[in-house]
Amino acid sequence: MTLASSTPWVVPAADFGQWRDAARRLLQAGVPPAAVIWEDAREVQEDLFASAEAGAIRLPEPSVPPPPVRIAREDLALLERASRYRCGEGEQGRWALLYRVMWRLHQGERAAIHAADVDGRVLHQRHHAVKREAHHMHAFLRFYRDDTDGDEADARGAKRASGGEEFHAREDYQSVEESKASFIAWFEPAHDVLELGAEHFADRLGSNPFLIATPRGGVAWNGEQLDYRTPCPPAWAARARAAQTAGEDSEHALWRTYFVSTFNPARLNHRVMTQHMPQRFWRHLSEGDLIPELEARARHGGRRLAQEASVGERKGKTLPPARR
Amino acid sequence: MELIDKLSILADAAKYDASCASSGAPNRSSRGKAGLGASSGMGICHSFTPDGRCVSLLKVLLTNFCLYDCQYCINRRSSNIPRARFTPEEVVRLTLSFYRRNTISGLFLSSGIIRSSDYTMEQLIQVARLLRETHQFRGYIHLKAIPEADPRLLEEAGRYADRLSANIELPTLTSLKTLAPEKQLGTIHSAMGQIRQGIDAANDAATQEAKHPPRSDNPKRMAPRYAPGGQSTQMIVGADTTDDRTILQSAEQLYQRFRLKRVYYSAFSPIPERPAGLPQAAPPLLREHRLYQADFLIRGYGFAAAELLGKPGNLALDIDPKLAWALTHRDTFPLDLNRAEPALIARVPGIGLRSVQRLVELRRHRRIRFQDLIALRCRIEILRPFVVTQDYRPADGQRDSARLRQQLTAPQPAQMALW
Repeated sequence: MTLASSTPWVVPAADFGQWRDAARRLLQAGVPPAAVIWEDAREVQEDLFASAEAGAIRLPEPSVPPPPVRIAREDLALLERASRYRCGEGEQGRWALLYRVMWRLHQGERAAIHAADVDGRVLHQRHHAVKREAHHMHAFLRFYRDDTDGDEADARGAKRASGGEEFHAREDYQSVEESKASFIAWFEPAHDVLELGAEHFADRLGSNPFLIATPRGGVAWNGEQLDYRTPCPPAWAARARAAQTAGEDSEHALWRTYFVSTFNPARLNHRVMTQHMPQRFWRHLSEGDLIPELEARARHGGRRLAQEASVGERKGKTLPPARR
Repeated sequence: MELIDKLSILADAAKYDASCASSGAPNRSSRGKAGLGASSGMGICHSFTPDGRCVSLLKVLLTNFCLYDCQYCINRRSSNIPRARFTPEEVVRLTLSFYRRNTISGLFLSSGIIRSSDYTMEQLIQVARLLRETHQFRGYIHLKAIPEADPRLLEEAGRYADRLSANIELPTLTSLKTLAPEKQLGTIHSAMGQIRQGIDAANDAATQEAKHPPRSDNPKRMAPRYAPGGQSTQMIVGADTTDDRTILQSAEQLYQRFRLKRVYYSAFSPIPERPAGLPQAAPPLLREHRLYQADFLIRGYGFAAAELLGKPGNLALDIDPKLAWALTHRDTFPLDLNRAEPALIARVPGIGLRSVQRLVELRRHRRIRFQDLIALRCRIEILRPFVVTQDYRPADGQRDSARLRQQLTAPQPAQMALW
């Protein structure tokens, strides 16, 4: 068993599972980080990494017996989340960073995964960025009614309307319709958080089918299962973008009205708003285009009162004291 | 009146309540179930209005008709404002629609007092019941507790709501008497007391259940839930002359006595037809901010209100309350981060709770160096005079507090710009 190989191991990994399997083998064979070149198969073309998979990745034989590779559950979760970070220009690749941390942990260097460590720091920063982006997706993704599948939706509606005894009033009928409706969204995450978003929305929407399209992957929920597609089928993306552009139903008009009224112009605070809701999200929000207008109005005199101007223009009414 | 007009009026009428949290709810999911909605401990801010405040819930009043004449309130009966009233079904419809489009995580419903306190509370409960039972809604619900309502109704409200809140609005008896003659501190306190008892009882039952799990999965046989997200309240800042010390002391008492999850501070915003005696000035946002910081130090860092403000008066605006405390307790500093108790490290200005945790963890592996503080992104420029590490000792450790303060606050931030 020779470890000193002059040619480095070239290991592609398309997802965390693949990296983990390869990393285990490398650790068990005692291959140091400097002797591995990781290829990020997420970043290269689909067909390219398919061929890499087909050609079976060359990995070293573990020493006999293979030493156990152990990692605490929360540390593994940290690595998994951090691996979803999309590296920018000049940043070290995700798999190489993970392997270096793993290698140092394996050598008994506990501080390697600590936020003050030279590698741990980067790992934690990436973990933080991913967590934040998943949270952005939970918060700022907007669903629109997806009525493209018209026939099927109609059939479902008719069946409901004739069948259920619990649906008497008109209000009820409307909510029944909504409760079976499909929804669609377009989202542009800065990191690989589609799965984290999809799981979250499956919990929220339950029996409502939905589809989320992103520039990379897409996912469809049929009320029971999540169906991931990478890359996102062009037809999904087109439908999602069209739904967003059309601005859909009167429901988003209600939401826009709410947004305007719940804003307190007397408290105008641009810095805090953009800190929490970066501008890159605005164009995908149904209320996004209202923001500059509301700010401008508040700056030009609207700050004198907390009340929304259009409400103040309506006819008012004072009330008599209570008879007690 | 059209639904959209009602929404415009009743959202405008509700925005003076600062709370919009959707956190602290139990884990619920609608996967594989009829109905809609989920919750987890973590709240979600779905949008931010240009005032920098989070939009997490649909926050509306059921109606802004009101029998009361609280001077600070835009909805007081003598205020000449447009009035509207939702039907419970309309609120349900809006909640479900917004929820499905992912613009909210739930509902925060409050109301003006109409007919009677009991009637008003019943109406709020009706909305929550429709959501939870008819539509099996599992998102977040925050209901306003009407203090004068029958205890039986508060009991019922807590079965549906994740959070209940009774607003104290003004921290002193005198202010309440002058500005809100129909409100009574006594009934507000007894409502809070009742909610606390409800929460405590539910928690006890849950603990029992954890020890002796029920044999069946039938939810009806499980321990009843009661406002699992806890209760909160709000105090208005700047509508009267009450100082920060009184406000913080009341908050501290509320935390201790009723175990509130949160006290919200709401800078008084100018309202139309301002009654005499109320300020027509910009809301004191910076003062509100300092109160939140002080509140956080009380809740999370082990500070007592009296430590932060020993004398009558307000918190300093130019420095945060933790730095202010450190500057008056120089004998505690500089603190050796390799030796100090975690609770004391938490008192160093510029070091947050998360960093305290990480420093303590790091100490188990090796000695703390100054570089570590930079790596942990502590506020270096602030903490410099207050810490000792393996390789660092402050040169300005002996400098007197007045000069230190000057040095740490270079350009003085002004109260938020006026118009």
